[in-house]
Amino acid sequence: MILADILTGAIRSGTSVMLASQGELVSERAGVINLGTEGSMLGGALGGFAVTVWTGNPWLGALAGGLCGLLIASIHAFLVLSCGANQLATGLTIMFFGMGVTAFFGRGFVSEQIVGFNPVALPLLSDIPFLGPILFNHDPLTYLSILLVPLLWYVIFRTRIGIMLRTAGEREEVLFASGINPKLVRYLAVLAGGFLAGIGGAQLSIAYTHAWVENMTAGRGVVAVALVIFASWKPARAMLGAYLFGAAQALQLTVQQQGYAISPFFLFMVPYLLTLLALLIVERRKSSRTPEALGKVFAGEGSG
Amino acid sequence: MKTQTGTIALSAGRWPSFARWKKRGVQTMIFVAPFVVYGIFLLCYGVNPVDLYVSMVKSAFGDLYGFGEVLLKATPFVLTGLAAALPAKAGLVNVGGEGQLAIGALFATWFAVFYLNAMPALLGIPLMLIAGALGGAVWAGLVAVLKVKGRLNETITSVLLNYVATFTVGFFVHGMLKDPDSFNWPFSPEISSSLRLPIVNGTRLHIGFVVALVLAALVWFVLAKTRLGFRIRVLGSNRLAAERAGFNINKMYFWVLISAGMLAGIAGMIEIAGIEGRLRASTGANFGYLGFLAAMMAWNHPLRLIVTAFLLGMISVAGNTLEIGSGLPSSSVNILMALVLFFILGGRRWSR
Repeated sequence: MILADILTGAIRSGTSVMLASQGELVSERAGVINLGTEGSMLGGALGGFAVTVWTGNPWLGALAGGLCGLLIASIHAFLVLSCGANQLATGLTIMFFGMGVTAFFGRGFVSEQIVGFNPVALPLLSDIPFLGPILFNHDPLTYLSILLVPLLWYVIFRTRIGIMLRTAGEREEVLFASGINPKLVRYLAVLAGGFLAGIGGAQLSIAYTHAWVENMTAGRGVVAVALVIFASWKPARAMLGAYLFGAAQALQLTVQQQGYAISPFFLFMVPYLLTLLALLIVERRKSSRTPEALGKVFAGEGSG
Repeated sequence: MKTQTGTIALSAGRWPSFARWKKRGVQTMIFVAPFVVYGIFLLCYGVNPVDLYVSMVKSAFGDLYGFGEVLLKATPFVLTGLAAALPAKAGLVNVGGEGQLAIGALFATWFAVFYLNAMPALLGIPLMLIAGALGGAVWAGLVAVLKVKGRLNETITSVLLNYVATFTVGFFVHGMLKDPDSFNWPFSPEISSSLRLPIVNGTRLHIGFVVALVLAALVWFVLAKTRLGFRIRVLGSNRLAAERAGFNINKMYFWVLISAGMLAGIAGMIEIAGIEGRLRASTGANFGYLGFLAAMMAWNHPLRLIVTAFLLGMISVAGNTLEIGSGLPSSSVNILMALVLFFILGGRRWSR
């Protein structure tokens, strides 16, 4: 029973990170690392929450959240791609910007309450013993996010668009030669990444907590960036990593409910430490999977 | 960069060339533009930006107390800025100043509360400073080991560890370091008054500022004037050349990160011994990030960093003025800071 709780919680609290990491994956496949994902998520969380408060419609809220995330990511795209700014430094500034802007505009929403998205049990499927309640009793955004993963895999690895995306991250000269502007591809990839991160943030505020709290993403955007590296830039593995992060958070809630005498602060740390550990394990046996343009960023040459 | 402008000036005779003026103009515009954009933002909220900027300058330079407040705010930014600037010279991106400061503050408080309470100031304060540096070094050591042994990118590990550091401090102020007389509030006992840093009369400014200045000068000296500094700069500007020259790169990375952690840890100690007197979970929140931004604004130059830290200190103090004067939350100056940085990041290409 506890295990089922933790697994359900893994999906429920991992979805926001998962969406953000899928977005970051798209952006990194095109060769742009965006630490501003944290800012996009915060923007999405607040924008989504605000629109849900105003309209009462969580679908509009999710859309608005995505657009806020996109807007914030567009700053990153402009500074990095058009102005040649350092990717890591710009991403951090955007993270800081997101914290400042949402703290400012969010203060009126701190005590607001919404209905938002609530878990919908899928008929028949949710009656499957054990697995049913774990997999098929979630909010609509979570179902969509699960469908997104195979879709992204297909787009990235089986379509022309995917080839263009990956080429932008590996060998932009080839794109040039075939008459496509790599900068444009990268712009679109970063914006798409911001959109997904924004929806991830909105999922957090509209479907998970049903509230806006200042700086509520608490590093989930950074974790999403780390997970993409852990996942070797593969959508399914990023999903797995995100649910692992979610499981660590669910564990913390479960342990508290069961009344074990473990300090909650240790449990708070677990997801972050787990992310570090996952990175270490992957690094041990990593081949040259890193998109070439990203490798340059990590080597300190990242600009443009 | 300097030699380049020199040659341009030479080729145009004794008069500064047009190119040089253009560069100055662009640099000035990059500095002014964020204040204009933020001013428009303020106007939308019914605040007169000119009044705000004037009161900002007045509160900083109007009297001794205000000037002291700005220096007080700038002190941790100088130190956490150095913690970012020094590794940057070696080609590393250390964003862990936040966590290194927190753990430095934790170590400093721990030693102050349990071991140094009865000591005279002349012995206790330096020992507490060492404890702070040690704490920062331990935290940076984690990043360094992950970098050198685990080949993990230091940017991501240092940000992740910032969150872990916050929870670590939370654990201690809720547990082993909680003040028994605090009626269950989560903060440490107050450190003994002999461990508090001496204060300049008429202000709240303490000698921690002098410590920060001395350390900035030291870092500058090492980087600019010593062989070690030269090696660090070579490593940062051309890793391949450093490899070919036979430098022990991993060892350099390790010690540069440790030194950075010590600098940020000292910032944590100064916050405790200089201002707060006790450790809270919120001690030094955001100082690490602001220091990183100050370093970026100064293009990682240790002496220019003092100026940019002062500017950020001024903006921080203005946040309080803004909150009192117009009802806007003090967090809204974070937007101004981010704008300043956006323009610097984006304008770098045109200002060179």
